[in-house]
Amino acid sequence: MYDIVNGLINTTFGWNWPGWVIALISHLLVTTLLFAIAPFQMLFLTYYERRAIARMQDRIGPNRVGPAGLLQPIADGVKMFTKEDIVPAAADRWVHFLAPCVVVAPTMLMFAVLPWGPGMVPVDLNVGLLFFFAISSISAVGLLMAGLASSNKFALLGAMRAVAQMVSYEIPAVLSLLAVVMLTGTLSIVQLIEAQAGLFISSADVPGVPDLGLGWFIFTPVGLLAFIVFFIAALAEGERTPFDIPEADSEIVAGYMTEYSGMKFGLFYLAQYVLNFLLCAIAAVIFFGGWQGPGVGWLYDRAISPANPDGNWVFNLLAGFLGVFYLLAKTYAFFFVMVWLRGAFPRLRVDQLMDFGWKFLIPLTLVNIVSAAIWVALLRWGPEQGITFTQNWTPILRWGVAFAVTLAVNIVAYIALARIFAASQAEQGRIDLDEYRDTLTATLR
Amino acid sequence: MTVKIERGQIVTVERGKRTARRLPGMGLLDGMAVVWKHWAGSFRKNQGFNDIHGVFTYEYPEERPKLPEAYRNMPILLYDDETSHELCTSCFQCERICPPQVIHMTQAKDPATGKPVPAVAEFVIEYDACMSCGFCAEVCPFDAIKMDHEFELSTADHQKLTVFKEQLNRPISYYERIAPTMWAEVRDGAMKKLQGNIKRRPDVIGMAPNLAEKIAARRRELEAAAAAATAPAAPAAAPAEGRKLTPEEKAAKLAAIKAANAAKKAGDTVEPPVAPAGAAPADEKAARLAAIRAKNAARKGEAPDAPPVVAGEPAGEAPPADEKAARLAAIRAKNAARKAAEGSDGAPVEANVAATEPAAAPPAAGAATSAAEAATAPADEKAARLAAIRAKNAARKAAGGGSDAAAPTTTGNVDSGGPGASDDAALS
Amino acid sequence: MNTGKLAFPMPLPAGVGTPSAPGGLEGQTSQEKPVRISVRRSRVDGCSTKDPAMFKTEELQINIGPQHPSTHGVFRMLVTVDGETIIDLKPVFGYLHRNHEQIAEQNTYLQNMPYTDRLDYFNSMANNQAYAMAVEKLAGIEVPERAEYIRVLMVELTRILNHAGALGFLINDMGMWQTQLAFGMREREKILDLFEMASGARMMCNYFRFGGVVRDLPPEFMPKLKELLVAMPAFVDELERLLRENEILMQRAEGIGILPKELALAYSVTGPVLRGSGVPYDIRKAEPYSVYDRFDFDVPVGSVGDVYDRFLVRIEEMRQSKRIIEQIVEQLPDARGGHINPRARQNVRPPVGDAYARIESPKGELGFYLVSDGSPRPYRYKVRAPSFINLTPLGDMCRGYKVADVVVILGSIDIVMGEVDR
Repeated sequence: MYDIVNGLINTTFGWNWPGWVIALISHLLVTTLLFAIAPFQMLFLTYYERRAIARMQDRIGPNRVGPAGLLQPIADGVKMFTKEDIVPAAADRWVHFLAPCVVVAPTMLMFAVLPWGPGMVPVDLNVGLLFFFAISSISAVGLLMAGLASSNKFALLGAMRAVAQMVSYEIPAVLSLLAVVMLTGTLSIVQLIEAQAGLFISSADVPGVPDLGLGWFIFTPVGLLAFIVFFIAALAEGERTPFDIPEADSEIVAGYMTEYSGMKFGLFYLAQYVLNFLLCAIAAVIFFGGWQGPGVGWLYDRAISPANPDGNWVFNLLAGFLGVFYLLAKTYAFFFVMVWLRGAFPRLRVDQLMDFGWKFLIPLTLVNIVSAAIWVALLRWGPEQGITFTQNWTPILRWGVAFAVTLAVNIVAYIALARIFAASQAEQGRIDLDEYRDTLTATLR
Repeated sequence: MTVKIERGQIVTVERGKRTARRLPGMGLLDGMAVVWKHWAGSFRKNQGFNDIHGVFTYEYPEERPKLPEAYRNMPILLYDDETSHELCTSCFQCERICPPQVIHMTQAKDPATGKPVPAVAEFVIEYDACMSCGFCAEVCPFDAIKMDHEFELSTADHQKLTVFKEQLNRPISYYERIAPTMWAEVRDGAMKKLQGNIKRRPDVIGMAPNLAEKIAARRRELEAAAAAATAPAAPAAAPAEGRKLTPEEKAAKLAAIKAANAAKKAGDTVEPPVAPAGAAPADEKAARLAAIRAKNAARKGEAPDAPPVVAGEPAGEAPPADEKAARLAAIRAKNAARKAAEGSDGAPVEANVAATEPAAAPPAAGAATSAAEAATAPADEKAARLAAIRAKNAARKAAGGGSDAAAPTTTGNVDSGGPGASDDAALS
Repeated sequence: MNTGKLAFPMPLPAGVGTPSAPGGLEGQTSQEKPVRISVRRSRVDGCSTKDPAMFKTEELQINIGPQHPSTHGVFRMLVTVDGETIIDLKPVFGYLHRNHEQIAEQNTYLQNMPYTDRLDYFNSMANNQAYAMAVEKLAGIEVPERAEYIRVLMVELTRILNHAGALGFLINDMGMWQTQLAFGMREREKILDLFEMASGARMMCNYFRFGGVVRDLPPEFMPKLKELLVAMPAFVDELERLLRENEILMQRAEGIGILPKELALAYSVTGPVLRGSGVPYDIRKAEPYSVYDRFDFDVPVGSVGDVYDRFLVRIEEMRQSKRIIEQIVEQLPDARGGHINPRARQNVRPPVGDAYARIESPKGELGFYLVSDGSPRPYRYKVRAPSFINLTPLGDMCRGYKVADVVVILGSIDIVMGEVDR
């Protein structure tokens, strides 16, 4: 945005405004845009989810308000605004009031590092990925505040569950991304996307691969496993089925949101759906190339960019549109998968969730990091690092060997870990049924 | 483990994975496949009972499921399209059977005589407490109460759920439309009963009150006829007037009604019109009405009112040979007799006479004889028998209600009280 | 147990959990795998496994209900938890009490028929049958053959719709956002359409009369029923594919809410809950009423008595009900008008005496006990409601599990509050 505004004001009009003014203008523009987009995403996702899950259940879904029910979320929003805001008498008023804000603010901040298209990133932080996950953890504080301040037992239980779940699943999520970071050697989200050019094979790995924007990490065994783990962790982070335990409606009513009504409840809802959107988007960005796709790279080469200051702004526009289209398509596809899982799976129990995170996902990500190391060693390292046997291999052979080795490692690790986990789950606390029966009947008499 | 028992076995259900798929997570993928299949299949409509895919939503206000005939929601009252007479006779069967006791009704009374008429005056159903069990429709002997298919009853006004007769009334054609075969099964019986009941309903009693224009039309008819009948005050003019109207049975009948009413209202002055009105048209309906009036008159006035009844007697004899009229006349006669007997608390002598000697008791027995005579004429067994029974009952009633003198007569069956005339009728 | 026919009281087959060779049975028993089942150890200790000396934890009392999304009505569970572990659970009911039995004693016998619809509003046909049987026993009313077939047909359809709904609600309680519930409801709606065709109402059928049923099946009923029989196996198979081997469901259901058969018998639990505990007690076999002795069908039983067994038993019962319905379609006497005994008076005035009739309702043994004093109203009217009795062991089934398990265990019992509180 800075480049475009700079080009427009200083080059086209020749006003020669100082850089900080241009930075201010561009950032204000971007912020306004994002604050408009975020609630819109939430509105659209609620509609999208309801329609999709209705179809899975042989229903139609909301189709009354507006064409095909498109205005249904607006109606819901109006309803939410007009609802009375009830604060329980025993609640801690200020904490109760602040909690939704604390939950919403970090999710909005996460937009700051999300690239929408080529050159369309609000802030290109060199630790963007770290920022993203660091910020997302803050909302756990808000959930705990909500649960504690409501002075409701269900809310407290829900908040405890939420915090435990958030904290537990940050670890596999970050560790799975660590593998990808190892592949690229950067924490900048923009560079992560740029590393995914190519066609099935990333052009960063094998030079000379035609750039169709399809060199996604998902096509590598490391990326695939990392994606699976990340997506599962994202489900838990975003409190989606089968990990919607903090707000399990059939168990603890609405969890930490139980005592909220009106727009405060709406804010929790907003935060949740925006977070879901962001998690889907970041999964698309990191594993599915974000805005990468056929044609975007070609268009962007002809557009105004730091590398090419005298490009044509029309190509900026076209590349931007195409990039945003690709990103949103991927994001919504992931959201569809979330809805699909919601329609297909029951919910885990909280202790099973913990077991699954700590005993299965984290070991799996650790193995995946080893795989990533092998991948990097085979593809990038040379005699300088002490790897000498690959120096005569062609890049494609190196890639092939790395692919095969990491695939084997990951599959073996998955099956072995899954078996071990299943066995441990079954073994844990196993007692003889007859013994149990005797104990039970004895205690009853 | 399976254990064989008679006609079957005890099967222990198999737990856990049946297939030897060792890869963890396959069960989850199976589930996702099922859901996907439903999602993919949801872009068409569900095909029917043998289809488990496809959208099965009814988009309700636009798309309405076809309700089966037996569907029952709330009770309604039927009335006949042609005569606009209600089928209900206020027999109180539905009120008695109703489990939540939400049906209330009052029987219609003849405003002139105060006698109950087989029609309903007011009928109330509390829809808010009705449990739609359908018992009322099942027990109704006249098929007057039926279950509606209308289910959109929500209202913001709770009072509206206490529903009165005006809102309960539906034409038979409406019910025939929603439940053709169920109505076809009962139509003949119901219509026959209705015809019978209409004949026992004076004035506009029993007409659906929501058909205001029909009632008004009928009232106008009645008034016109009355005017026509009473205008010629002179006794001589009356027959002429009556004859003028004879081509139209209705007019004649109405004249008779009015005449009878008039007769009943004021004693001697109106005597003359009665006789001509009764005698003039050789019409069974008029005859019947005359009989009714005669009876009423008999009940109202005691001994001194004999003349009008005598005037009525020819009316009863005049009709050519209509069994129905005869029967009705008999009924009237019976009623009259009973009433007379009841009234005879004040005048026991008359009751005695009425019970024992027809000739001496012009009001009751006179009518009875006329009925019997009328009955013999057509050689219609049923009518005759009914007339006989009615006459007998009347006599017994009169005897029971009236005095001890009648006691011996009640012991007999055919030959009791209601004189030999009824005996003859029964034999014929 | 050396006769083929099961007697009542049912002698337990010598250990459902251990294979045995009952002498004199022509059937053979297949070798059974030893049951391997995981049970939380905390279940036995009564609270968490933590060393109490290390952590001083505070117990928390939670009221789950009466207003709670998954208590299936106004039902309250007073739960004492340590963290998420249930230490104690006390079921509290009575919020939906509406004086059913007392009302019934003020009504005539026939007037009670629609009230029985409202007991277990999922299974009005089964309730009707039990009540009609009780009155027929009391008043000595004969039921024509066709009427008996129609009755059994309706009750078996009721069983399918009840189990379809119950499994859907169970899965919904597990958090699977109504998908199975919607599928179950779709099948249920079809059956309700059939009920509507026959009786005029979808749920409050009020279809049975003393000596038969109120009206004969309409001509369009049988074709629709045959169509439904095509869809039914597909529906059940799909349900199994969706959930039977689902790892999450197995984690949530296996070893949860175990009700050992001794305990089940001690609590006089009946129906799928009892059979899930491994007791093959089915009144349709143990004391065949109506025309049940003319049909071939199996009695599925579980081996462990946990939520998963109850789930599987219900699935299998739907299959068996479908089998019965197929036989009814074949055998149904084609005597139109034979749907009711024409001599049976509806405003009965039974002779002085008492009668108890019971049926295998989808939820268990549903019994009506009537005492007549010769008047047109029952002198005493008592309902033996399966939901109510099956609910009593809830506290024992839940103790030691997590809060999340409570709703699943409750869902697996399959209660209807209308029947619990009456």
